[in-house]
Amino acid sequence: MIKNYLKIAWRNLVKNKVFTLANVIGLTSAFAVAILLAMTALFELSFDQFHENKDTAYQLYLSNQTPRGTEISTSNPVPLAPSLQEEVSGIKHISRAVSEDVLAIHNSKELSLDAEYVDPAFFEIFTYPAIGGDSNNPLPEKNTVGITEETAKKIFGTAQNVVGKTLSLKIGREEQPFTIASVLKDTPANSSIDFEIVIPFENHPEYLSSKDRWDSQFHPIYLQLENGVTPELFEKNTIAFTELHYKGGIESDIRDGALPDANGKYKQFHLMPITDVHFASYTSGTAKVNRTFPIIILGIALVIIFIVSANFINMSIALSEKRLKEIGMRKTLGAIKKQLFFQFWLESLLVFATSIILGLVASNLLLNPFKTLFRTRATFADVTQPSIILLFALTIFCITLIAGGYPALLMSKLSTLRALKGKLNLGKNRLRNSLIVLQFTIAIILIAGTLVLHGQIEFMRNKDLGYNKEQVVSIPLNGKKDSNSVVNLLRDELKGNPDILSVSGADNNLGMGRDGSISRSMMGFDYKGKGVVTSTITVDYDYAKTLDLELVAGRMFDRDFAIDSLSLVINETMAKQLGEEDPLSITIPMDDGVTYSVIGVVKDFNFQEISREIQPLTLFMNKDWDLYYAYVKIAPNNVANSFDAIKSAWEKVEPQAEFLGSFLDENVDRTFRREKTMATIITSGSVLGILLSCIGLFAISMLVVAQRTKEIGVRKVIGASISSVALLLTKDFLKLVGIAFVIATPIAWYFLNEWLQNYASHVSLSPLFFLGAGLAATLIAFVTVGTRTVKAASANPVKSLRTE
Amino acid sequence: MLLQLNNIFKWVNSGGQRIFLLKDINLEVEEGEFISIMGPSGSGKSTLLNVIGMLDSFDEGEYNFLDESVHTLKEKHRANLYKEYIGFVFQSYHLLDELTVQENLEMPLIYKKFKSSERKAMVADMLDRFNIVGKKDLFPAQLSGGQQQLVGVARALISKPKLILADEPTGNLNSKQGEEIMELFKQLNDEGVTIIQVTHSEKNAEYGSRIINLLDGRMI
Repeated sequence: MIKNYLKIAWRNLVKNKVFTLANVIGLTSAFAVAILLAMTALFELSFDQFHENKDTAYQLYLSNQTPRGTEISTSNPVPLAPSLQEEVSGIKHISRAVSEDVLAIHNSKELSLDAEYVDPAFFEIFTYPAIGGDSNNPLPEKNTVGITEETAKKIFGTAQNVVGKTLSLKIGREEQPFTIASVLKDTPANSSIDFEIVIPFENHPEYLSSKDRWDSQFHPIYLQLENGVTPELFEKNTIAFTELHYKGGIESDIRDGALPDANGKYKQFHLMPITDVHFASYTSGTAKVNRTFPIIILGIALVIIFIVSANFINMSIALSEKRLKEIGMRKTLGAIKKQLFFQFWLESLLVFATSIILGLVASNLLLNPFKTLFRTRATFADVTQPSIILLFALTIFCITLIAGGYPALLMSKLSTLRALKGKLNLGKNRLRNSLIVLQFTIAIILIAGTLVLHGQIEFMRNKDLGYNKEQVVSIPLNGKKDSNSVVNLLRDELKGNPDILSVSGADNNLGMGRDGSISRSMMGFDYKGKGVVTSTITVDYDYAKTLDLELVAGRMFDRDFAIDSLSLVINETMAKQLGEEDPLSITIPMDDGVTYSVIGVVKDFNFQEISREIQPLTLFMNKDWDLYYAYVKIAPNNVANSFDAIKSAWEKVEPQAEFLGSFLDENVDRTFRREKTMATIITSGSVLGILLSCIGLFAISMLVVAQRTKEIGVRKVIGASISSVALLLTKDFLKLVGIAFVIATPIAWYFLNEWLQNYASHVSLSPLFFLGAGLAATLIAFVTVGTRTVKAASANPVKSLRTE
Repeated sequence: MLLQLNNIFKWVNSGGQRIFLLKDINLEVEEGEFISIMGPSGSGKSTLLNVIGMLDSFDEGEYNFLDESVHTLKEKHRANLYKEYIGFVFQSYHLLDELTVQENLEMPLIYKKFKSSERKAMVADMLDRFNIVGKKDLFPAQLSGGQQQLVGVARALISKPKLILADEPTGNLNSKQGEEIMELFKQLNDEGVTIIQVTHSEKNAEYGSRIINLLDGRMI
């Protein structure tokens, strides 16, 4: 029986070569892409799931009621963790952890490493196993460190017998020797905390100065709760603690007019489950866990499968009309419904199985280009857990059952007589039309999304950020030498070069450099009885000149003035916050007893991510404070030469350290990598979606034309022109695209509008985006169907009428 | 003279051999004639009719229709010519299934870009003349074969052609219905319409003023 079925199925597939091929190609590409997308999404969703204690491990954050509204902070003061452990019940383990770059020196090798300063309990809370040394206690003493396997190979060339060796680290301005106590497994790609070296927290450069200070906050805290203690219980337990230790802060908040939260509290600790940390954002005063990105990707994968399944269903139903006689015949020969269903289903299964296998092969082949294109580190290994494979298999089984089973069911249900008569009346093709409408609705939404996303990226790229990003190179100061002198040495090296216009430095980068770090420094103080919060950047001379910042009032730091280390330059937003008519009259007494005076106001510029609004900013200049980046402005011509000149100057100044200089516009581009990745994914999704929809449409138009051959002939004989017939045939399809447009536009508008709200400044959602999407879809559909219909319309009517 | 065929040849190549569908056809048709083409199956009756109707091409010879040389015309002009002057009636009616009787009649007029009001008037006229006013809102499937063919003839006539080409118009009808259609043709011919019909039936052929016999693509 099965053999007979298979034989018939095979012959049928071969007979309808075009459709079989269209189906297999469509299904294969859809499955390949869907598998890759699903893998990416599942990888994203698997973030931090590998921790054994993931159900009881949390990140601590504090929500503050301030006069500006609720603000959330994950930065904590150094004494907080030990005090919490002592005074609040329910904590099993607690660890401070802060990520910073550190320079490792071994023999003549200098290496900038991503370091994590942690407490020993860090390894109780999280699962970062050691493969060398004591895995129960990877950091036994203050002067020991743990390095990952990869780091060990980088430094020593091997991960064997590294434990016990000495490594010099430059922390702050000092170089200290450390003993390697353990070699850890490399952090998994799906870990939100990642590091190359772990260092006991007490070695952090700020540790000693901040040991007992509650107002210097710079590190996150992770903790594990005792079994049975809920986060809510813990949060309640901390109320008295907060009121005691944050008394001063709370009082000044009340004084400045902050409103208490729903529970009447001004400061409240909360816990963020470790598995949510990767998806958390704290921008609008609440902690939002947002898994939109992976869910959108997963959605696109499903949508692609849907489109291609709809094609399959449509084609199978349309083709089945040719087989009605066969069905009728089989029924008269005694086939029962179940047998017929099984036969047709088997045919579908054959197509699906082939496509899935080909799809798996294709996705494997495409894996590497895909990973570079979408900047994902996802691998099959990360997602090939039994449960996920089972789920995947189940999904595919369901899709096959529905897509293959529906036409089969429809055909097996037909009454014998109707089948034999060869007339299949499927309710005016309502299903077919709704599927086409749905396909095009999806396609139009995706096209609109693509257009808006690219529009927003272009908008961000072309936005005037208030500084010159085309002509300025920023260089991370990752060498051993004192940063201020490195900037001065660079300045001297490049002095003679006419294409180098100016050199400066700062403790913060603009955009994201090749060192991949983004940091933010904030400080708060009281000004005339009011709390003021500002971002701060320490800069070198010529900062404004190098970056083309515009000065609104006063002057910048100048070598001619001796006391500029007590001067401040603020931006317009800060001036507004301070509220003085003449900002240059402002003097600010800081709490260490020195008084700073404002000497200049710069025009607002985007010193943070473009998606944020411009915050109050204060620029300091103090030769005792470290700089982390050098800025070099070059002339607009001879760009490549100038860049090489900068590079060779760097190599002269810091021969051991890697040159990581990059133009600021690259840095800015790097900050919206996520948007770009999303744009690439949605673009390719929509291209594939449209392509697949078109394959379907093409096949359907072929069948429709075949069904209407007689009608076309009649119309031509009674006087229809080619164009009127072609229009008649095309019109029906375009109508469907029109309906899809009407459905898609509000949906796309709603979601894109929601998405754009994440950006402080964004493109306006003009109707042109949607018209463009609709037009594109119409045009594509028109071309697809048109080629078929024009051909049919220009055929000689005698041929179609001869079949009498 | 309405049309003239001179030495018309039509062939297909099959297996290296030339098979003639029409062989040296010479025919003159005057306005007002009623011609019956007869012959056994495969003798080329329908092919000849299609050539006359300009639906099919020929390989050799000359064809003049109302002083236009059809063989030199481009496809588009040829199409305009037959749309203007020729109406077709088919054995299996070829009505558009999804249109009502009224709409079926209206279709050729729409293609000829008549105004809506004119179309209405002409359709009403035609319905009246063929006594099918009561059926105007029915679909072809709801009519008997004879009635369907009646609509077919009405549709062929509605744009006032000079020539009607009928390919076995009674082939799918019973004898009574067939007789009615032939009577109708006779009447139309009396009113001045030229008719060329293909038929198997001696009796129907008698309605014509001239009979042409075909055998293997040749006039005999």
